[in-house]
Order: sequence, then C-alpha cells, then structure tokens
Amino acid sequence: MSLRILPTGLLIAALVSALAVVYSSHVVRGLYSKQQSVEYRQWELQEDYSRLLLEHSTLASPHRVVSIAQDDLAMVSPQLSIHRVVQPQSRRQR
Amino acid sequence: MSRSKKTVAKPALWRLVFVASCLFVLFGLLVSRLVILQVVDQDRGARFLQQQGAMRSVRTAEIPAYRGLVTDRRGQPLAVSTPVVSIWANPQQLKDPAQIAGLAMTLGQTPEALSERINLYSDKQFMYLARHQTPDQARSILDLELPGVRGEREYRRFYPAGEVVSQLVGLTNVDGEGIAGIELAFNEWLRGQTGKKRYLKDLHGDAIRNIGVIKQPRSGKALALSIDLRLQYLQHRVLQRAMVETGATAGAAVTLDARTGEILAMTNHPVFNPNSRGGFDYAATRNRVVTDVFEPGSTMKPLTLVAALESGEFTIDSLVDTSPGRIRVGRKVLPDPRNYGEITVSRVIEKSSQVGVTKIAQQLGHESILDVFQRFGLGEPSSIGFPGERSGVLPNRQRWSDIEKVTLAFGYGLTATPLQIAHAYAVFANKGSQVPLTLLKRSDSELVPGRQVISGEIAEQVLKVLNRVTGSEGTAQKARVEGFQVGGKTGTVHKVGEAGYLDDQYVALFVGVAPIEDPRFVTAIVVDQPKGDNYGGGAAAAPIYSAITDGVLRLHNALPAREDDPPQFVGLGGGA
Repeated sequence: MSLRILPTGLLIAALVSALAVVYSSHVVRGLYSKQQSVEYRQWELQEDYSRLLLEHSTLASPHRVVSIAQDDLAMVSPQLSIHRVVQPQSRRQR
Repeated sequence: MSRSKKTVAKPALWRLVFVASCLFVLFGLLVSRLVILQVVDQDRGARFLQQQGAMRSVRTAEIPAYRGLVTDRRGQPLAVSTPVVSIWANPQQLKDPAQIAGLAMTLGQTPEALSERINLYSDKQFMYLARHQTPDQARSILDLELPGVRGEREYRRFYPAGEVVSQLVGLTNVDGEGIAGIELAFNEWLRGQTGKKRYLKDLHGDAIRNIGVIKQPRSGKALALSIDLRLQYLQHRVLQRAMVETGATAGAAVTLDARTGEILAMTNHPVFNPNSRGGFDYAATRNRVVTDVFEPGSTMKPLTLVAALESGEFTIDSLVDTSPGRIRVGRKVLPDPRNYGEITVSRVIEKSSQVGVTKIAQQLGHESILDVFQRFGLGEPSSIGFPGERSGVLPNRQRWSDIEKVTLAFGYGLTATPLQIAHAYAVFANKGSQVPLTLLKRSDSELVPGRQVISGEIAEQVLKVLNRVTGSEGTAQKARVEGFQVGGKTGTVHKVGEAGYLDDQYVALFVGVAPIEDPRFVTAIVVDQPKGDNYGGGAAAAPIYSAITDGVLRLHNALPAREDDPPQFVGLGGGA
C-alpha cells in the first residue's frame, strides 16, 4: 500500500515544487522590474535635485544679487550717517 | 514458407542481449561522464564549465555612488555632484558608415574624426564616445538605438560658486576622485563607495536579468566648511579689483574668526574656473594663502613689541631715541624715512621705524624675539590639513651676525604663509590665546580651547598700538573702516631674486584686527609685486583690508561706534 503511495506522493511533491519555482521566479521578475523603476525614479529625482540646487545657487549667487541690486534696482550700501541702531527691549520694560 | 516463418518466430536470444548490453554500456558511459564532470573532476569539470558559462554571460557592473556635497557654513552649495551619462561603444559592432555619420552628427563631431577614432580602437571591445553628457544629451544619442552604443551612469562635479572658491574647494578628476584642495583633503569623507551588481547579458551585451547586488553603494557624506560664501565673494571681488588697480601679479587674502579658529574666507589671485577644464593656468590653481611662503617683514614688529613688553624693560610709552634717523649695524646702515627724534615705543611701531626697532632688538637680544615667534606658531604647519600647505621656516643658526639678530626683529630671515601671519595676529584678537585653525564649521559644542600664548594685558597693549597704526600718525590710515576702530600693521618686503633682494620688486602686506573694542576678526592681505609708486603695504594692501573688513563687520552685525557722531539708539516699538 505504502509502496504505491510513495511514487505518487513524490510526483505531486515534484510538481508542487516545480510550480513553486515558476511562481517565485515570476515574483522575482516582478520585484526586479519594480526595483528597476524605483532606481530609475531615484536617478531622475537626483537629476532634478542637483539641477535645482545648481539653478538655485546660480540665481542666488552673490554676483547676480549684487548686479541686480546695483544695476537694476539702483541700490547703494547705506552710509553710516543714515544708520540707526535698534536696541531690542527686554520683556519687562515693555 | 513455413521455414521462414519459423525463423521470424524464433530470433536468436544473443542478438537481443548484445544490442541491449551495447545500449546499456553507452548509457553507462554517458552517466559516468556526467558523474565525472559534475562530481569527481572539479578543476576541469563542473567548476571549469561554470566558469566558462559565466565568462560568456555574467557581468559585474559598478553602481555609481553619490559624492558628498560641500557647502559653506550657511549651507550654500560649493561643490555638487550631478548625474550624467557617459556614452561608450563596442567598436566591433559599430561598422555601418551611415550609422557612424548619424552618431557623429548627434555628438557634434565630423564623421571622419569619429571613424578615425573608432578605427583606433578597432581591436578593442570598449571605447568612450563622449563622457559626462547631461541626461538630455545622452537620451538623444541613445535614442538612435545604434548597435553597441550604450550609456553608463556617472556623477560629475559642479562648482556653483565657480572661481570665487576655486583654489580652496579644489577639483576632482574625471573619475570623481579629489585631486586638489578640500576635495583632496577630505576625499575619504566625501567620496561614496561604489557598489557592485552582477547581471546576465545576452549576445549583444544588453542586460537581461539582474542576479543580485554584491555590494551596496554608499553615498559620500556632506561637508560644511567654515567659509561664509557671502564674505568669500566680497573678499574675492575686492581683491580682484585691487589687483587691477595695483597691477600686481598675484594676491591673497584670508579672514579668520580668532575666537573659534574658523577660517571665514580665503581668496587668491589669479583665479581659474573649476567648471571648465580646458587649459587653465596651473599657477592659478594654487591656494597661495597656505602654499606660498615669504618674509613677513614689518608685520612681525608687533611680535617684537610683545618680546619687549614681556621683558619688563619697555612699556608702550617708554622713550626710544631714533635720531639721527639712521643706525649702523655691522656693515649695513638702516635708515628711517626721516629723523623721528625721541619717540615712544608705540610710535616706533606706528611709524614702523627701523632705527627704533633696531634699538629695541639690540637691547632684547634675538633669543627672546625668536621665542615669541615660535610661541605664535610661526615655522609650524597649521592644523587645517590642506594639501600642499607649507609651514615657513624660523632661522635656526649656530652663529648669529649682528645684522641677522636685528633683521629678525623686523621680519626678515624667516618665512611664513599668509595664513600663519593671520593666525599669529589672532592671538591679539583673542585675549592672548590662540585657537587651532579649521576649515570646517565648528558648532558651539565643538569649540576647541585655545592655547594661552601671551597674557591678556599684553594683548590689550599691542591692540592699542595696532589701533594707533591706523591713526593720524600711523602708516596705515587707508586701513580705517568707517564707523569702527580697527588695528593692524603694514609690511613692505623686497622680493628675493636669484642675486638676493630685488630693489624694484616688493610684496605689500597688511594684517589687521577688528573691531578694536571687541576684537574678533583677523584679516591678512598679501599683494605680490604691486606696480607704480604705491607699492607699500600702507598704499597697496591696507585699502583692501579696509574694504574687506567693512563687509566682515556689516555681515556680522557689529555695532558701529564713532566718537564724533555717536549713532542714535532707537528702541523697538517706541517709548524707551
């Protein structure tokens, strides 16, 4: 009796394991493509980040700020005579 | 008929046995060969076959790692890594002239030049077509989908502040390794660790499946410098303008915070643009503030003053007779511009009188002066660890001639970098204590205690004299800053040529401390070979100091104070 069940059992086990291999490699493929797209996204974001960082620092560079302030807005550094020193008051005085 | 039937019905048993055993033996041979390959013979069997298989299909690729960001103390980026794509090709697969022509057009090259390069690598499997393309450029090339042309992700370093911090931040090479400046000094900290992954490729070399990551890439760490980019820019602009005005060949400026030891700005002339690698002048890549040494000249006189005050034989008000305006030491005559007569020690420094300093030095002896120089850190490298930093030399002689003993007191016979001179003056600005220098931002918890070099009283006395140097009798009236009291010392040194000191070539120096009431910022200026009549430290270097210090004090919200017109104090919200 048991001798007849054994091969059938083994056959089923082999089939199950074969299907499990198929399934897991399918899962791996899915995860891999997901990882690829996430990695690609990371790359794109880093691309954006460093581009924005460079753009930001170019726009905010002291050189540009000075030229806009002086040339476009006709600003000047304040003379000492028009300085007013503001002293913060403590809470109790207020 | 019946006879033949009989033959068919009764085949010989041996034939069956023979064929069966033949087949069995063949099968056995097959199995045993398999066993030998798979189990027994490892070297020429399984392992060999696996290796051969892997060699044909498994490849490892590097995963690029992000190099750390370099920022200034306020977080402004100074060096940024951006993703780029390097285009490479397998020359074996790139044969079609029409394709090469199309590729050359996209790359912006002539088809002839490109096919020549491809021919050059015709026996290779790999050649770069264009390195470090922006992702958009790379896409337009890769979209041609030519056989054997592929892109590889890399990072490229950009320097947003450009020439303003070029010598300080330094450079990386095309592979992202630091080769100069901060990039080199902190390479280990900044660099990421490239990862490795293994993948299966098909016949054409395209990746078909990832096997796995062998090593995870690790990003480099960010680095915040002690530099303030606003101040750096200001210093850069002032220095470049002054270089044009004085016609000098080179210049350097450095500003330190004497209390924390942080270097706030450090600029040089000439400059280079770190973002374009096409043929820059290598002399411009040098960070002269730390790599160039020269004789500090009269800027060392305040240190001689320290030796004088420490000896107890002088106070700043002691009288020194400098008439008749010249003095003979050995075979040399040291002159003053005119006869100052009997003047105070303070006035000797204010006027930078050779005769006065000579008399003080002769009374003190050179040992005590040399001792002060040593204590102020001259002749020793600073703690910043900058590549190529030099430490200057203090004289170490067995026998001192009379003139050597004296010239030491006014800064000849020893060498120092601009940074060392500024660091020496930081002693005066920090109550006699010298804090180790750093190029990295120090938070309040990371402050390093200073080393007490001289007493606070002597530092205060020297400051008083330095302030008078910028006064109406001093040599550095052009160093004054509107609204603030500053102090400093000029220096004018003959350059050394092949045959000794050159008569017509000078180095102009100025080192200053500001503000005097609450000293904190030390700035040293060096102008190499100013042209024309205004070659002296007071004329060429002091105005640069004034312009820089004006910005330093404004950026740090220092409170202006004027004797003639005290600033009005206004309370917030009215009704004080």
